[in-house]
Amino acid sequence: MSRWPEWAFEVLRTVLALVVALIITFIIVLVVSAEPGEAFAALLGGPLGSPRTIGVWLDDVAKLTLAGLALSLVFQARLFALGAQGQAYLGGLAAGVIALSSLGQSWLSIPLGLVAAAVTGAAYGWIPGIIKARFGANEIVSTLMLNYIAIDVFAWLIRTRISPPGSGLTRSDPFPESAVYPTLIPRTRIDLGIVIAIIAVIAIWFYLYRTKRGFELRMVGFNPRFAEYAGINVPRTIVRTMAVSGAIGGILGAVFVQGSAYGELAVGFEGLITFEGILVAIVARNRPLIVPVAALFYGYLRQGAVLMGLRSDVPTEMIGIIQGVVILLVASAGLYGWLRASQANRAPDTDSDPDAPQPPIIGGGPLTEQAVR
Amino acid sequence: MDAPFALEMRDISKRYPGGTLANADVSLDVAAAGVHAIVGENGAGKSTLMKILYGIEQPDSGAILLDGTPVQISSPARAIALGIGMVFQHFSLVPSLSVAENVVLGAEPRRGLVLDLPAALRSVGELAERFGLPVDPAATVGTIPVGQQQRVEILKALYRNAQILILDEPTAVLTPQEVAELFTAIRGLVARGRTVLFIAHKLPEVLAISDAITVMRGGRVVGNLRTADATAEELTRLMVGRDVSLQVARTSHAVGPVVCAIEGVSANNSAQLPAVNDVSFVVRSGEILGIAAVEGNGQSELLEVLSGLRQPTAGRITLGAEDVTGWSVRHLRQAGVASIPEDRLARGLAAEATIAENMVAERIDRPPLVNRGILDWSAIRRAATELVNAYGVRTSSVQVPVDTLSGGNMQKVVIARELSSQPKLLLAAQPTRGIDIGATEFVWQSLIQARNRGAAIILTSADLTELLALADRIIVLSKGRLVAAFPDPANLTPEDLGTYMLGAREQPAAERAMAS
Repeated sequence: MSRWPEWAFEVLRTVLALVVALIITFIIVLVVSAEPGEAFAALLGGPLGSPRTIGVWLDDVAKLTLAGLALSLVFQARLFALGAQGQAYLGGLAAGVIALSSLGQSWLSIPLGLVAAAVTGAAYGWIPGIIKARFGANEIVSTLMLNYIAIDVFAWLIRTRISPPGSGLTRSDPFPESAVYPTLIPRTRIDLGIVIAIIAVIAIWFYLYRTKRGFELRMVGFNPRFAEYAGINVPRTIVRTMAVSGAIGGILGAVFVQGSAYGELAVGFEGLITFEGILVAIVARNRPLIVPVAALFYGYLRQGAVLMGLRSDVPTEMIGIIQGVVILLVASAGLYGWLRASQANRAPDTDSDPDAPQPPIIGGGPLTEQAVR
Repeated sequence: MDAPFALEMRDISKRYPGGTLANADVSLDVAAAGVHAIVGENGAGKSTLMKILYGIEQPDSGAILLDGTPVQISSPARAIALGIGMVFQHFSLVPSLSVAENVVLGAEPRRGLVLDLPAALRSVGELAERFGLPVDPAATVGTIPVGQQQRVEILKALYRNAQILILDEPTAVLTPQEVAELFTAIRGLVARGRTVLFIAHKLPEVLAISDAITVMRGGRVVGNLRTADATAEELTRLMVGRDVSLQVARTSHAVGPVVCAIEGVSANNSAQLPAVNDVSFVVRSGEILGIAAVEGNGQSELLEVLSGLRQPTAGRITLGAEDVTGWSVRHLRQAGVASIPEDRLARGLAAEATIAENMVAERIDRPPLVNRGILDWSAIRRAATELVNAYGVRTSSVQVPVDTLSGGNMQKVVIARELSSQPKLLLAAQPTRGIDIGATEFVWQSLIQARNRGAAIILTSADLTELLALADRIIVLSKGRLVAAFPDPANLTPEDLGTYMLGAREQPAAERAMAS
């Protein structure tokens, strides 16, 4: 066929979207800023400015990667489950409870916190899985509702039970040092969380492409009717996928609260990063080995925008707008490729020429298909 | 030369961006007021040629002449303005609107700003009557049978004053009775001066309806024949490029013990309405049991029950000596049941998955391809490559998505996978629907080899000639009931089966029981 492989087009498309986003950003900055040069330098060069900012960037990347992995897993099964946020809060809560208990005095609280968070997240992912498999409930609705429940249960427990009595604070006491991830590079946020994220990337890749369960998951995503016919238990695969994804979401929570950035339980700690994980998963086309690459790029822009807000006269509202523009363009480029691929994969009917290009049909991709189900 | 042709296509070439040469110097002369058939296998370039004629695709070179005048057909709208209409295999109708509304949609008679419905009903009714296409203009399209929906599509074209009508594989979706009605309608159109281009690959139909035939292969015209001089054998040879034998020698072969016994099985369809009603029969090792039934008379549901995809509401199924009623797909597959599903793309394949993944998807629950839950990819690739070679699937690699294959090759992937497990019981639902002659020959031979090896095969087909050629015994289902059984189909004709299929006749219970 063509001399360029499809992934080259994808990279090109994403880079192009980034460039357009930067041009729009530049125009916005020119309009709102008296010192556009400095603002732009902060955006593009800021994250690399010091070991500290590099650390903040890489810490974000680790969290974006975990969120992107959790979502890639369900997306590959064509489940539009967005429960990573709730799983992160409850997983973080579980890890925090361990860190604040007497176990927190030992380094054992770190692995135990991870396990507790993974189990809690898996359980919270299992719930929408089982109600979808049993009753056919739409997982978009159920996972979003469960997110609200988790957020408010978490906030309520922090305020009434976990924060120091009478303090009125929305956070817990700091964890003991033994319960906080050791930093790999002193005075930066580069800590155990990055190692956990790397291990998770490899583990999820292995699960998806090297195990029988991963094979079943992908077949259910490709074509559930085929999976059923080939003897794969589709409902059970859906539930299992949601639970495994939930475990990653829970681990994300542990990495948040036990990471050196927090080291405490705080209301709203997750900062909507799980939703940015959707973007990472889309741009990476749900491939676990690409997720950290997408997270690196996206995390860099995210950090650059924050630094521009801090260091220049660009108003903070503009930062939000610029982030919105970047997300919109990059996500559309990612979605475009995804839709096009799924369109091309809709094999031609036996009556038409198999090599004939298919006309583009808007809205026929996996996302919308899932949305109407 | 006397009068100019209604349509001439001169040296049309079309290369798709991917590099595929879909049409190479194709020329076509179509006489007015006749039926001109264009036949060819999948990928022969018929569809591309028609898309060019209807303005969906633009040719790289060549010319199109209508009544001797060169025309540019830049879009379907232009084609319609020039009097060309096309009826696609997949209809584009609004199911919730009435027949008349669908026909006039986009060119409505108006009264003020609103649709003049009485006028629409009247003119569509007149049109239907004039061209012998009986259909109730007030009926809601979603509730009328497929055959009538097709008439609505034809009426749409006629309402826009089409002089040349392209019918793209119009019989693929029709029952034998509907095909007969369609042919009557086509003759009516021709009698009123319309020209019909008939795209097809079922040769008996082509020979029955057309006046002239153009055969395409590999993007080129390989033959122009007058139907009166053509034979099915000659057309097949032109289409495929070699001799093809669809004659099945009735060799004597050993029929063994009962493999599968179905006793009093009933089942519901997806809408939870009864679809299979108290059906009993057996199938033995080394025989093909054909099930003859009009689409939607319970045969699909019955095969789904036997493959484990659907739970029976009553009855018992035994496989060998075991009661397997209610077993899951996986357990039935492990017990030796394989199935070629009716809809290969929707059921039989994961289009975006690789050929290798499709080849082994039903075996990943056990060694040697999987050990303790971990896939052995080199074993999987080896197994898939062996099957690709053994079944002649044309591909460069087993690592490419299965949807890069042609329709016939996709069918081979399904058959290779299902036969590679050496099944005791093979369920084959419409195994040759939508595939061309070369691939059909392959499917038939595969089924016969499996039978001679001792497999018990249950075959359903909308194509009665296929059933009569392959089946050692035939049973007939009508409205989910077993109404007739024929232990020796050698002397049966499609008409014999037809009367039972339509429920017009029923064998006495004792005769059925003995034969089934």
